[in-house]
Amino acid sequence: MVLLIALLILALSFMAQLAFGAVMLNPLQVLRDGLREIFTATTGIARYRLERALAGVVVGASLALSGYLIQTTTRNPLGDPYLLGISSGALFAVVLTFALPASAITLFVVRPFAALIGGIIAYLLTLLIASKAGMTPTSIVLSGVAVGTFFYSASLFPQYFILRDIHKVFAWSMGSLVVVNLNKPVAIALALTACTIYSCVSRNVLNALSISDDFVRDLGRDPSRERVILTAMAAVLASFCVAYFGVIGFVGLASPHFARRLLGSGDARYIIPLSLVFGASMLSSTDVVAKTVFYPIEVPVNVIVSLVGAPTLAAIMVGMRRHARG
Amino acid sequence: MLGVENLSVAYGKVNVIKGVSFELRPSLVALIGPNGSGKTTLLKAIAGMVPYSGEVLIDGINLRRIRVDRRTEYVTYVPPTISALPDMTIGDLLLSDSSADVALLERYVRIFGVECLLFRRIWEVSSGELERALLARGLARRSKVLLVDEPLSYTDVRYQLVVMRCLRRLANEGRVVVVASNQLNPLLNYVDRVLALKDGKLFINAPLKTGVDEDKLSELYGVKMKVITIDNIVDVVPVDEAKG
Repeated sequence: MVLLIALLILALSFMAQLAFGAVMLNPLQVLRDGLREIFTATTGIARYRLERALAGVVVGASLALSGYLIQTTTRNPLGDPYLLGISSGALFAVVLTFALPASAITLFVVRPFAALIGGIIAYLLTLLIASKAGMTPTSIVLSGVAVGTFFYSASLFPQYFILRDIHKVFAWSMGSLVVVNLNKPVAIALALTACTIYSCVSRNVLNALSISDDFVRDLGRDPSRERVILTAMAAVLASFCVAYFGVIGFVGLASPHFARRLLGSGDARYIIPLSLVFGASMLSSTDVVAKTVFYPIEVPVNVIVSLVGAPTLAAIMVGMRRHARG
Repeated sequence: MLGVENLSVAYGKVNVIKGVSFELRPSLVALIGPNGSGKTTLLKAIAGMVPYSGEVLIDGINLRRIRVDRRTEYVTYVPPTISALPDMTIGDLLLSDSSADVALLERYVRIFGVECLLFRRIWEVSSGELERALLARGLARRSKVLLVDEPLSYTDVRYQLVVMRCLRRLANEGRVVVVASNQLNPLLNYVDRVLALKDGKLFINAPLKTGVDEDKLSELYGVKMKVITIDNIVDVVPVDEAKG
């Protein structure tokens, strides 16, 4: 039931993504034209809108899954892709690419690739430190915070010296779904599909991990090993998103919480699909706001998602608590 | 049958279990010993949850030869507590076990009075209620060997008896049930045998009659212990000699 409502919200925000923009259009028309433009390899406003709408869905869902995996493996409700230092590593790598000449290759190939590598290196570093400290939930969080803080501060140095590009770095660090072509959402969608399938297959392990390491051993699995695999998937997903669309926060943190709160359960079987849909609709609907509310100026989606999402999460948490007390 | 041969466990350089051997027929067994004597580690090793040297045999089959995904048919370890992600509910906890027999789970949920807690979050219930939920989950499997870690620490007196009666029945049905606890009453009123660990070594391994010995228990805990029997109920109480 909750899933149906969430899917309805997702469909509505997807349609709104197609309908709103510089001019208001019939969303079904945009969908039809967009698909035709994609298949005939022509470009037009319909194709642009469709691609952006698809990007919103896959990025939102990926961040949500990434957040869910990290919250579960670290057994920390504050878990999100940034807790493990991933985004800071990616940010640092991207800042470094601003030293390169601003050619098309730098912009479309080197920069996303650097972000991906940066994010994964930061994640591996987090893991390396955590493994020396026993690979427990706490050790992963602490080393993630250390690595993240280090890379964030390191990224400030070049920003300080390459003043001419500082607004670009700034814009990138706030995330945006603009400058889209179909390759990006498709690449993320492939990674997302693989990770979703693996997560659903290991739902018993995820449930056990979110309760106790003893329960994972009980299943005959090694909790440290499962933790490494699952956080690696989270890191890849988050790095892909950061690489292509910049830093977008909050979706990864909040979506699993929305799902758990509304469902009143933490069972992976329901939380995974619900988080995916919540993440997708959260990012899609806030992107509509981001591109229309101060038109013609576009506000970074990261700003809107946090401004709208944070009070909503707070309201749900307070509301559910009252509800639980009866 | 549970056979343990020269079992040792080390965490890093610290030897926690130092060459323990024993053999248990289907029965209810108390595992006692001071804090840090290695009770939990011994149980976890028998359940194959920590690396060990030596051998563990269940019905003659070496634990190392049992496929990990079939291990729960042989042995189950019931932990005393957990540290779950805050939004997990008691229902999630109970259903997180794919090897559980659902009808049996429902029965134990009723017996341990957990049914009204199913939609409560884990951090919202009391330690005793959580303990009972963990027991219901563990007993809902049909493992041949059941290792129950501290099931009596937080439960109230009524449920202590409910728990012990349940474990007694399982032992009578032909399973090996080992209960690690220092709640000597009611524990010693239900068991057939007493095992005691001291500094990682087996200190007592005896049937109930000879196992509950004032001198041995005093040496085990390092304080003077007195065995009291009233109306066939056994209790072992410490005597504070400093009090005079």
